[in-house]
Amino acid sequence: MSIPLLVKDLVKVYSVKGKNTKALDGLSLTCSRPMILSLLGRNGSGKTTFVKIATGQLLADSGKLEIFGHNVIESPGEVRNMISLVPQECRPWGHLTPREHIYHYQRILGNTREGSKDRTQYVADMLNLGSIMDTEAVNLSGGQRQLIIVGMALSAEAEIYFLDEPTIGLDIITRKNVWNAINHYKKMNRTIILTTHYLDEAAALSDEIAVVSRGKLVAQGTLAQLREKVEYNTRIKTTKGLIGDSLKGHGRLLQDEEYEILYTDDSMVEEIILSAGLLKSHVEISPIGLEDVFISLVGESIDED
Amino acid sequence: MKIKGVKNLRALESLMKLNGLIPIYRRPLALVAILSTPFSFLFFVDIFSDGTQLLAGSIGGLIFTVINAATMLQSDLLFGKIDLKFQQMVSTTGISPLTYVLGMASGDIVFILPGAVFFLAVILYLSSAGILAILLIVASAFLTWVFFSLLSYLISRKVREMREIWPISVIFGIVFAVLPPIYYSVYSIPIPVRYLAYIIPTTFAALIIKDAVAGAFFSVLIPLLIYVAETLAMIFFATRISDWRQRTI
Ligand SMILES: Nc1ncnc2c1ncn2[C@@H]1O[C@H](COP(=O)(O)OP(=O)(O)O)[C@@H](O)[C@H]1O
Ligand SMILES: [Mg+2]
Repeated sequence: MSIPLLVKDLVKVYSVKGKNTKALDGLSLTCSRPMILSLLGRNGSGKTTFVKIATGQLLADSGKLEIFGHNVIESPGEVRNMISLVPQECRPWGHLTPREHIYHYQRILGNTREGSKDRTQYVADMLNLGSIMDTEAVNLSGGQRQLIIVGMALSAEAEIYFLDEPTIGLDIITRKNVWNAINHYKKMNRTIILTTHYLDEAAALSDEIAVVSRGKLVAQGTLAQLREKVEYNTRIKTTKGLIGDSLKGHGRLLQDEEYEILYTDDSMVEEIILSAGLLKSHVEISPIGLEDVFISLVGESIDED
Repeated sequence: MKIKGVKNLRALESLMKLNGLIPIYRRPLALVAILSTPFSFLFFVDIFSDGTQLLAGSIGGLIFTVINAATMLQSDLLFGKIDLKFQQMVSTTGISPLTYVLGMASGDIVFILPGAVFFLAVILYLSSAGILAILLIVASAFLTWVFFSLLSYLISRKVREMREIWPISVIFGIVFAVLPPIYYSVYSIPIPVRYLAYIIPTTFAALIIKDAVAGAFFSVLIPLLIYVAETLAMIFFATRISDWRQRTI
């Protein structure tokens, strides 16, 4: 059995007007079974470029990309029927309603009239679109418009759904509707490749997370596995000035206007508290979350930029 | 099992609706705007020729109208590619780029159809064109539509920003529908320059219609053959390079 997604040493350089930008610098990823895989990375790290290559929009320079064993670089045509896509920053047609969008998208996919209607209703129910189904998109809010795109993409019966920032601009309740839909698809053995800047979303949904920086994979695994990749597994958060520079040697110190956060090892916590003379009530001690993992993994570039 | 042909027909029908029927129904003003340009040319031709060139003006108007559809297609393809990113969603449905272009172009046909029919009616009214002439007029218009829709597609592949297209479209309109002898006779151009006119396919489109209307069916043959050959070459070329994927999008 071939696996849903295999990416190896993918390279893409954009050359525009003599200027070269290396968007992917040997990216490698795997999705060995149907799952929700989140791609995290800072702006410009190459996520969208990857999605465009994987969905057959963009030519790669070199590397391997297989979807269920089909070579996408050589012959993207074979996989088009297996994939569905929410492109980044996609917009609906202003003069069409959500119902028309989904229905006609189904027709373009080759579905019958009846089948298209059924599928449209299915998506409308799943995403709670009921009340806006017959409103022209110009008269909808930004988030509602985004939901149309998600609805179109989810209406397709694909093996892999590439969702490039699908929940951008959605309110938390609507977002959770989308999460439910995504989880529902996963239960049906579909693979979802999700890019998002909402880390809570990635943490809540993902089976695995791939962190990308400057066109390269930094780490891929479950949240627990990623935590282990990070040097320090515990965070101690206090108001600014309580820990101070004296404890720098015990971990990594991040300071902002109000807080300071010391990333350290859980075995060190008691000692630090004692030696700094801190009261437990003044500090917040917790295992590191995805946000901390993310910052640790791609954080270097924050300082560099 | 989905049969490929049926699938493509469904896609074509929907694209025509998305890009043509529904917008016309909801925003009919565009129709008026599109009709008005060739009419204004007809208006000037009529005034400056004291009505003697009304037939030539209508032939020009017909071709201009078809070129208009191709110009609209440029903005529609770019709108779908750049603004909406609809093209990316369509590409994953499995239909080919040319099916997509044909569907979008059919949507634009809907916009120009009333104008085209009007000019055809005027041409028929002012001449004594029979069935064969009508067939040749329609064939010329059809070849023009195919040739210039594909050219628009090729142009749209190169453009990466919405604002880049309006100067291109304006120049496109001037080069193919204003300067060449479609409102006037190719024979009124002095010889060395006339060869230049023959580089532009719309010159043949007009020649075919003018000769057909005049009943000079023998003279139609050569321009028709050339125009068919040019269109076939364009189809061949467009098919060769059509690919959803590009180096940059
Ligand atoms: N169409 C393009 N032309 C030129 N450079 C581009 C283009 N798209 C993206 N880039 C560059 O490629 C890099 C990766 O961009 P992208 O894949 O969009 O990142 P992300 O989605 O992770 O934010 C960026 O440095 C960006 O400037
Ligand atoms: Mg992106």
